[in-house]
Amino acid sequence: MIEQNLDELEEKSIYIMREAKERFKNVAALWSMGKDSTTMLALARKAFMGKVPFPIIHIDNGIDFPETYEFREKLAKQWKLNLIVQKSEIKPEMSGYACCGANKTVALKKVMKEYGFDALIVSIRRDEHGIRGKERYISPRTKDFKWKYKNQPAELWNDYSSKLDKGGHIRVHPLLDWNEIDIWNYIKREKVPINSLYFSRDGTRYRSLGCTHCTVPIKSNADNIDKIINELKNTKVEERSGRQQDKETAYIMEKLRALGYM
Amino acid sequence: MHIEQITMLGHKDHGKSTLIGSLLMSTGSATEERIDDARNTSKRLGRQFEPAYILDAFSEEREGGLTIDTARAQVKYKGKAFEFIDVPGHEELIKNMLSGASYANTAVLVVSAARGEGIMPQTKRHLFLAKMLGIEHFVIAINKMDAVQYSQDAYEPLRNEIAAYLDSIGVHSQRVNFVPISAYSFDNLVSKSKNMQWYRGKALMDLLLTCHSKNVAEDMALRAIVQGTVETESGMAYTAKILSGKIETGSTVRILPLGKRVVVKSLYVKGKKAKNAKAEENIAIGVSQDMGNIRGSIISNSAQTKVAKAISTMLFFVKPVSGAAELRFNGNKTNGTITVDRIIDTTTGSPKSTQKPKALDAGECIIRLNGKVAVEEFSSFRGLGRFVFYKNDEFAGIGVIEKVLG
Repeated sequence: MIEQNLDELEEKSIYIMREAKERFKNVAALWSMGKDSTTMLALARKAFMGKVPFPIIHIDNGIDFPETYEFREKLAKQWKLNLIVQKSEIKPEMSGYACCGANKTVALKKVMKEYGFDALIVSIRRDEHGIRGKERYISPRTKDFKWKYKNQPAELWNDYSSKLDKGGHIRVHPLLDWNEIDIWNYIKREKVPINSLYFSRDGTRYRSLGCTHCTVPIKSNADNIDKIINELKNTKVEERSGRQQDKETAYIMEKLRALGYM
Repeated sequence: MHIEQITMLGHKDHGKSTLIGSLLMSTGSATEERIDDARNTSKRLGRQFEPAYILDAFSEEREGGLTIDTARAQVKYKGKAFEFIDVPGHEELIKNMLSGASYANTAVLVVSAARGEGIMPQTKRHLFLAKMLGIEHFVIAINKMDAVQYSQDAYEPLRNEIAAYLDSIGVHSQRVNFVPISAYSFDNLVSKSKNMQWYRGKALMDLLLTCHSKNVAEDMALRAIVQGTVETESGMAYTAKILSGKIETGSTVRILPLGKRVVVKSLYVKGKKAKNAKAEENIAIGVSQDMGNIRGSIISNSAQTKVAKAISTMLFFVKPVSGAAELRFNGNKTNGTITVDRIIDTTTGSPKSTQKPKALDAGECIIRLNGKVAVEEFSSFRGLGRFVFYKNDEFAGIGVIEKVLG
């Protein structure tokens, strides 16, 4: 995994977030309390003079890990976040694709409508998944939250030309250029607070965090940031290998994203 | 570490995505999981193993055997890092090709030597566009050599025709490397192929080791784009991205097109007070005079940055446009009127005997701007010398400024 220049990445992300704040009337950001969206918040504080100037949404299915809730409360207080918790409903008979597609997306639609958000900052990265690798920095979604990936807008020379579909919204992806290892190098350099689930306990750790139902830990003894960085330097395994919803059938991520999944 | 961004160029089905897939595999840059996924997809579709599926992730791309949208893949090789940008080779997907290729400083043109393929419209058009985008380094990969028995006789005519075309559009072909490859069979990708003893040059990855993009010079004059405003402890400040040069507190800067000179009272970098800032950094500055909303204005201490009412340009038309159009400089909109001087066929580089552009033509055009815009000639500073244009809210093409007409 290639380690990129953190200053360059940081500047790109700051530019995109400031652009979103200028261009759109009512911006919000998604926060899963994972490493990427927490890094995004740290970057927002740099872009906007130490404050996160937009509401932060947690789509809460009630089955996240206890550590995740604890971390949410602590950081929300410390960084004075304007936190919106939107409950999503878990049906015991559902899992994976059906669960992520239905519950998370339905809850997101609800909160977007209620608050009238026209742009949503989402901390996806290109290297996570082939489908996420096809994203634009600023990308429109229809009013049904659909991603018209077969006809994405042109995006070049600092012109993020996406126009808002009627009733739709814009997804903003400030972390698109970052690699997994860059996130960890940045967390280390900037001392970004981080969810303890990423660190090894009894020989396993979570490399990518979802809910308790569909996230599987990896075998690892990396119990601090340096060890995680070292582990990633040599890994041949995909980051989201512990995420069930990515793998059920072919093209699952495409289907999820087309439906409005994050 | 620094990553050299390299765009693929070339006609559809000549092997751009396959080449990136094969480079990922032969440099050990793809995870087993991605390779397995490509292998399983190939099997499911009843096809021979297709490395392109490492990049082509959409179902329509895999099943249709084409690249719809741009994707990127990073490769480490002999201590250097590269990011390959895959682009579609279909002419109807050219806006996606531009969206990918615009980030690169180096290009690899892929041309198929297979019978019935060879030099096609997008082969030359992509080179024309790469030149226009300001790409500095070119490597020409003549692909599918395995389909022509690795014969030098198949390679030479293609090589010569492309060299002549490069010269005709102003890229010195003598400074361009050509390499015969087979992306499927891994010939001449990272090591010299035994199948082509007649080829005396280096393998493709070794040729790319010599391509370095120039850094934006910090010792150039200050240029920055104003993005908007932000609240600071000392009141409202303007946010801006520095494109070149440096800025420091206490210095006087020129705001264009207003033409005002203001003093930098306070400066913030990454949310913290700073004494100075340099190219590539995003800043916030408190200045001696409130100028209201100046989003899109240019902060420049360069005499080359001029306030234009008209510009002489080279346009590339994704949609045919003349007359009124909307221009966007670094995302900021201005209306203008396009008058075509001369149309150029982008598949030959030669002028056409018409002044009416068709889609995918280029044109030397004069544009009269309705408002005042601070710009620069592309040759003096790229970041301020280029724009995209729209017609009826639809992306219609890209342009570079050849001369500022005042």
